[in-house]
Amino acid sequence: MAISLYTQYYPGHDTCWVDAVSVRHALLALLAEGPKYGLQLREEFVERTGEVWPLNVGQVYTTLQRLERDGLVESDDAAEPGPQKGFRITDGGALELSGWLRTPPDLSLPPRDELVIKVLVAVRLPDVDVHEVIQVHRRYLVELMQQWTRLKEDEAGADLGLSLAVDAELFRLDSVIRWLDTADGRIRRATVDPPDPAPAAAGPLPKMRRRVGGRR
Amino acid sequence: MMPARIAVLRWAWRLFRREWRRQALVLALLAVAVAATVFGLGAAGSALPSGAAQFGDADYLMVLRGAGMQGDVATVRQAFPASEVINHQNIAVPGSANPVDLRDQAPGAALGAPMLRLTAGRYPAGSAEIAVTDRTATLFHLAVGNAWQQGGRRWSVVGIVENPNNLLDTFALAAPGQIGSPDHVTVLVRATAAQFRAAQRPATAEVQFRGDAGPDPAFIVLILATIGLLFVGLLAAAGFAVLAQRRLRALGMLAAIGARHRHLRLVMLANGAVVGTVAAIVGGITGLAAWLLLTPRLETVVQHRINRFDLPWLQILLAAALAVVAAVVAAWWPARAAARVPVVAALSARPPQPRPVHRFAVLGALLLAAGLILLAQSNPERPALVVGGVAGTAAGMLLLAPLLVAVLATVARAFPVAARIALRDLGRYRARSGAALAAISMATGIAAAIIVGAGAAQAAAPSGGNLPDDELIVWVAPSRIEGPVPQLDASQLAQARSAVSAIAGTIHGGTPLPLIAGISPGARLESLNDSGLSGKPVVAFAIPHRSGGSTEYHGDEMIPLLLATPDILGRYGITAGSIDPAADVLTSHTDLSRYRLIGADRQGESWQPRTQHIGQLPANTSEPTTLLTEHGMRALGLTPAPVGWLIATTKPLTPAQVDKAQQAARASGLDLAVETRPLAADLSRLRTGAAAIGAAVALGVLAVTVGLIRAEAGRDLRTLAANGAARGTRRRLTAATTLALALLGAVLGTAGAYAALIAWYHQDLHSLARVPVEHLSGLIIGLPLVAAAAAWLLAGREPTGVARSPLE
Amino acid sequence: MSVLEMRDVGKAYGQGMGKVIALAGVDLSVEAGTMVAVMGPSGSGKSTLLTIAGSLESPTSGEVLIDDVSLSGMSRDDLARLRRRSIGYVFQDFNLLPGLTAAENVSLPLELDGVRARVARQHGLEALDLLGLADRAGHFPDQLSGGERQRVAIARAVVGERRLLLADEPTGALDSATGEAVMRLILAACKRGVAAVVVTHDAQLASWADRVVFLRDGRVIDRTMPPPGPESLLEADR
Repeated sequence: MAISLYTQYYPGHDTCWVDAVSVRHALLALLAEGPKYGLQLREEFVERTGEVWPLNVGQVYTTLQRLERDGLVESDDAAEPGPQKGFRITDGGALELSGWLRTPPDLSLPPRDELVIKVLVAVRLPDVDVHEVIQVHRRYLVELMQQWTRLKEDEAGADLGLSLAVDAELFRLDSVIRWLDTADGRIRRATVDPPDPAPAAAGPLPKMRRRVGGRR
Repeated sequence: MMPARIAVLRWAWRLFRREWRRQALVLALLAVAVAATVFGLGAAGSALPSGAAQFGDADYLMVLRGAGMQGDVATVRQAFPASEVINHQNIAVPGSANPVDLRDQAPGAALGAPMLRLTAGRYPAGSAEIAVTDRTATLFHLAVGNAWQQGGRRWSVVGIVENPNNLLDTFALAAPGQIGSPDHVTVLVRATAAQFRAAQRPATAEVQFRGDAGPDPAFIVLILATIGLLFVGLLAAAGFAVLAQRRLRALGMLAAIGARHRHLRLVMLANGAVVGTVAAIVGGITGLAAWLLLTPRLETVVQHRINRFDLPWLQILLAAALAVVAAVVAAWWPARAAARVPVVAALSARPPQPRPVHRFAVLGALLLAAGLILLAQSNPERPALVVGGVAGTAAGMLLLAPLLVAVLATVARAFPVAARIALRDLGRYRARSGAALAAISMATGIAAAIIVGAGAAQAAAPSGGNLPDDELIVWVAPSRIEGPVPQLDASQLAQARSAVSAIAGTIHGGTPLPLIAGISPGARLESLNDSGLSGKPVVAFAIPHRSGGSTEYHGDEMIPLLLATPDILGRYGITAGSIDPAADVLTSHTDLSRYRLIGADRQGESWQPRTQHIGQLPANTSEPTTLLTEHGMRALGLTPAPVGWLIATTKPLTPAQVDKAQQAARASGLDLAVETRPLAADLSRLRTGAAAIGAAVALGVLAVTVGLIRAEAGRDLRTLAANGAARGTRRRLTAATTLALALLGAVLGTAGAYAALIAWYHQDLHSLARVPVEHLSGLIIGLPLVAAAAAWLLAGREPTGVARSPLE
Repeated sequence: MSVLEMRDVGKAYGQGMGKVIALAGVDLSVEAGTMVAVMGPSGSGKSTLLTIAGSLESPTSGEVLIDDVSLSGMSRDDLARLRRRSIGYVFQDFNLLPGLTAAENVSLPLELDGVRARVARQHGLEALDLLGLADRAGHFPDQLSGGERQRVAIARAVVGERRLLLADEPTGALDSATGEAVMRLILAACKRGVAAVVVTHDAQLASWADRVVFLRDGRVIDRTMPPPGPESLLEADR
């Protein structure tokens, strides 16, 4: 099965992705549906995330302990710690989950993108055709997207989680291609119609102001 | 807001430049309408024969006959000192039972002047001079300067004359007072109805009133002007309605970016005014030019002279002005519509949801009914009713048009794909197809009204003859049966029969129907004319008049008594079983009691025949109205004798056919004489002309509207081409659009014309009995087929840029 | 075997100073059962390429072959027949004839080809059914949503035994979910052996194709490598 192969080949992704999506909140979300045992939680987590993000049992229990400590979940006190111990969400946990779902992730800081740096460098280098550089990346990205799309196509409709994850990747790659397209066009215009080396004091901004003033 | 106005005007100019082809089509459409209206007004004013042919400038015409004629003339002169007296004498024409009229009339007389016109030579003066008409000159082989031995006198032909109001009037003109013993006298009288009634006049005078002679041309012009103005307005509406869809989107776009409706309206008004003015000028000039060029042809059709500058200028100017107004209103409409249509709908170019058809249809039916009722109630004294009736009928038809279009769209399912697309598109864009349909039905309706109306006018006109216009009788003697009839031997009979069948051949008539009269065994041979022929009188019915000590019978009151042969009975669809075996006489006359049998022996004069009334027998006096059965024949002991042959044709006889028939009769070497109804203007040619002009206008309207509609559907052609539609599909698409519009338009127009005419003639419906099948089928079947064929041919060209998506 | 083959195709509009070169030296081959995407910015000649491939326009140089038959020698009627029988078009808009119902729009090429109306309608209904539009058969385009319209257009493009499907921004006016559904339909057609060319500037759309051709200023400047399997994703990432 393609998926298992794929997960096998992605051990490096595991920790960083699972951390990123916050196992804590994922477990809270599962418990919001009703009380569950620890083992059950792990299985459901893997299943719901389209088996893209494997999770080991230890990680589950560590997280559950922390949640219990923070008063976000409760456990059946009577039972022994182990696979048979049941957990349920508290009111505090439900509040936490609801708040987390609505908090936007921190997108304000641009990631340090290697591709952006490459293009910026290529523009400066006299002997390099920047369009060719851009096209190389564009082709590579399209090929990558083709592969992701194929994944979606093969498993059409079977797995919602996978589809969502693939979509996310496709949109990410697509946005890079769009940036490349825009950069391509911008560089092209700049070489055809180079900007004034020393822009005059009356730049575009004052001009706009004047127009606004004229409408009064 | 000057800059905004300038921006909108600049946009208007762009719009015009982009659309100029379509604007040109609309302009052409309007120009055609104005031209047709101008021409139609000219034709209507002068096409109909006016009473002047008979009356000159007089109001009353009296015909005096008989022995007391001169005394009667004196009586009339005393009552009306200003009256004009014209003496008439018959000049027999060889081979014809229709004589030429010799009249003495003063050319410059106050009342009779419009009846005379000199075309060559001069008017006669003195006792030995005469002028003749062209036709008379042809009949007697005369020319100016010739001598003419006629009726015992020797005339010198000094001029060629005509009756300008009736070119078919065949006569000879002598100087006033040169006819010593007239056959009858006519007196022209100018008087009001009250004056005329108050004055004493001879009891025997036949009186004709000018008002009965036919409708006043001014009245016809009024009707035609109403129709023409409607036509112009309708075409403007149709043209701009087609453009409206495209306009709607452009206007919606402008509205979306914040243009003010006042500006948009301004642009549309200016656009409409320019198109309307140019169309009015171009159309007016074209119509006038066509009128001036075609007047001579029209004269030969209507057979009277036309003053080509005597046009109803006021109505023409009105039509031109209306073209401008209609164009402005029609152009302004999209701007108004755009103000109402939600901007989004306008941008998406979806046709606005058509208003329910049935509401229009109900209103249309109501208007149509109201129009017809008004027409039925109207008469020449109440022109407002006529105008209202015509307008109501036309508006009703206009409102019914969308219903028909909607019906088209529903039946589209059953058609192959090209026709289906065409029909559905017509249904989708109901505003423009409805307007186009109304315009086309108007064009065909006018043509149909002229075709049917001309026939009805002819049928309703006073008969003035003893035969219908599609029958001809070859008599054995020039005096028909009023004098002695020559006894033909077997070889003469065969000769006569071959001449008769030759005549039937020249006029495309049916099998000649032999007319056989009875001759009393005791009848004596009488001299027929100066040339020494002789014959025996036949039995006939006539009314006895006591005059002094003797009894007179008038020839025009005689009823020929013909043998009821199986041929005649079969011709009129009378079965043997329907005849009373004891009947002596079969007749269509309701009352024969005043008549007496003449030509039989003494006992016959007091014969009391057993009479059976048979409605199928004809009513015209020269036709076999009264038949003698075998039973009656035996009772009187008569011997049969052929007196003539009746030939019926399918169409009214033309002067040329009558001339040919007379030549054939003369060539037979016998004394055969051809009788026909006196010639009238040949309205069949007028019909053909009207049908042709109407069809041409309808074709023009069709071409322009179909062109506009298909041009608007250009984007569909791209989709069709991408799906592998070849030239044939494009052709079928355009042809189907054309055929549907033309067929519906022709049917609707003809139906409307018939409805209006039925309302008009509702008291005299038999005038409409003869349906001009040929012309109407040409209009209803021929026109759509020709139009569709033309569309099929013209649509073959590949539209440019089929691969490019159209820019809007 | 190539269903569509374009050899050194060039197209110029206008003459002299106003001459515009829309395509120059384009080589393209599309085999049965494959989808090729043509990507490029606006004005790169994508649409012209498609109209030439679909015989709506003729090239000024080079040669177009469909099922190994050159189009250059064909009469206009022959080309029309080819479009009826072998080529299906899907445009971004102006796709459907507003006067025909969905089913009639789908059966249009068959009816134009002389197939009896009832038979054509049956085929049309089947094609609509395949795209889940059976209940929309009697609706007019006005009454359909954008996605439904495009699905009808695709049904029409594959009805009968069409060999070549040409799509010009087929998801242009649609949201991405509806657009994806449309692409799946085109892909499904390819699985049945149809060759498809999709012209687009959208990388997500292009990524559905087996091969992507990059067009700029009327020239092919690049192509993707032969279709890799999903496994290569992993290698690439390593």
